[in-house]
Amino acid sequence: MHIPEFLKLTGIAIVVVGLALRLRTTMVVVVAGIVTGLLAGLPLFTNQGVFQGLPYLTQAGSQEGIINMLGRAFSDNRLMTLFILTLPAIGLAERYGLQEQAARFIRRFKAATAGALCIMYQLFRVLMGIMGIRLNGHPAFVRPLVFPMTLGAAEAMARTRTVEALPEKTIEDIKAANSASENYGNFYGQNLSPVLPGILLVYGVMKGLGYTVSVWSLVLYAIPIATLSVIIAALQFRLFDRKETKRLAAKTQEPG
Amino acid sequence: MTSLSAISSTLFSLKAVYALTGLVLFVFAALNLRDRSNKNRIGTALFWFTLGVVFAFGSMMQTWVVGLLVLLLVAIDGAGRVSRGGDADKVTKSGQVQAETNSIGNRIFLPALFIPFVTFAFAIVFRLLGLNTNDGALVGLGYSGIVALLAGLVLTGGTLDQAFHEGRRLNDAMGTVNILPALLASLGVIFTASKIGDLIAQGIQHIIPGQNLFLLIAANCLGMALFTMVMGNSFAAFPVIAAGVLVPLIIKPFGVNPAMVAIVTLTAGSTGTLMTPMAANFNIVPTALLEMRDQYGVIKFQTPFALAIWTMHVLTMWLMIRVAS
Repeated sequence: MHIPEFLKLTGIAIVVVGLALRLRTTMVVVVAGIVTGLLAGLPLFTNQGVFQGLPYLTQAGSQEGIINMLGRAFSDNRLMTLFILTLPAIGLAERYGLQEQAARFIRRFKAATAGALCIMYQLFRVLMGIMGIRLNGHPAFVRPLVFPMTLGAAEAMARTRTVEALPEKTIEDIKAANSASENYGNFYGQNLSPVLPGILLVYGVMKGLGYTVSVWSLVLYAIPIATLSVIIAALQFRLFDRKETKRLAAKTQEPG
Repeated sequence: MTSLSAISSTLFSLKAVYALTGLVLFVFAALNLRDRSNKNRIGTALFWFTLGVVFAFGSMMQTWVVGLLVLLLVAIDGAGRVSRGGDADKVTKSGQVQAETNSIGNRIFLPALFIPFVTFAFAIVFRLLGLNTNDGALVGLGYSGIVALLAGLVLTGGTLDQAFHEGRRLNDAMGTVNILPALLASLGVIFTASKIGDLIAQGIQHIIPGQNLFLLIAANCLGMALFTMVMGNSFAAFPVIAAGVLVPLIIKPFGVNPAMVAIVTLTAGSTGTLMTPMAANFNIVPTALLEMRDQYGVIKFQTPFALAIWTMHVLTMWLMIRVAS
């Protein structure tokens, strides 16, 4: 039976549709892999050992089976989950105040403007990336700390002492800017450490494709983009400050 | 003396580190099994136990056995039988643990700092011994967890029991996402064996004439960003783009250093993540946390940045290839 070439792309469609429907990601990925392999005419199992000569499950010859491939690749990529060994240490540190101490550290940031605070927080996030520390930044830092601190900076910019005096647009803009600074710092900072999953994924996938690269050189080549991300963000937050300053000035000129 | 070096080369090998990880997972599984507040305690324990078996014995088992165990993992997760236990109650709203009051101060960062430090030290020692520095980094990552744990125990005066309970809490919080990178890398391997990459590469060659490096780089970065936007996950997009565009159209024909372009391709995906509601954790959940009026407020703010940094990806990749060759 001849299967048209393009049908092999069904696997990619399964990933796209499965994730869009919010099905279990692990399930979607494995089903996509098996379907792709079958449509490409690969057998389920390698024709050897207990499976030797079984019809349907294997094919004559030495073609590696899909299940064998899955097991081999997963085994080769256990390294991506090695960080589990660090969890007891990190957990213990958290119990004795790691996050609180990080919060104390952030609270010491002294920034004159809202935008300056955003870029400082982004740099803090990049620093955490370099140290290989994973944080769930939005709930742990942005909402309880960075957002109120940025509001404080904006109040100073508007020469007022109450949040009520700030225009609602400004408050909404600050929320967006805070969330963005967390994402920028997280996405581009995490590739500066060889123990975080981004580098390990690239290492594993490239190895699977036949190219063994050094995790350290991956980190090295991540530096230019990480640097550019800070520069571009600094520009954006600078423009943000300018816009908010104008808006706040207009607000204070309003009668009443 | 030979036995001593044999012991040390066994002890400081990837296999030993995998075995240790397996042990930690067995402890997490046992803690889950004993936790009656977890309504899926058996499924959850079975999941982490099975992963522990794959870790500890993966190198010794036939690949098809590992493959079936992976299917078992996915089936348990797919049936919704993995959940977190009552330990989650100890976590405050902001996701932090109630810390014990103490006067440790900034020294609490020390255990965490040991992790990159020890990792790096192992890589250097492996290099000096003429061994593989990648293995050094990975073995180091494993042992850094133990060094950090010892440092943490001494520093805080906490107990091993606390450490494993807290470690299990963190592991449960991440949940089955832990195995996703390894699954995605496996998907990449199956895609390669199925020659999906060649198919995509042929398609792109229909659109982009000849061997125009700049246009191919742009196609690579655009494909990565678009795929990530659709899937909401740059890790899921990377195996497809690496197999379909990066390797066949850029690395192979131009003889480019794979490390140089691979990591930039991954972050080109991150620019896509900044612009998609599919990446709900990063873009939609914060709007809820901060009670924003506009559900897409974060994405709108991030889009100009994302477009600018995407352009920089194309230029950086092109420049790096030009300078290197």
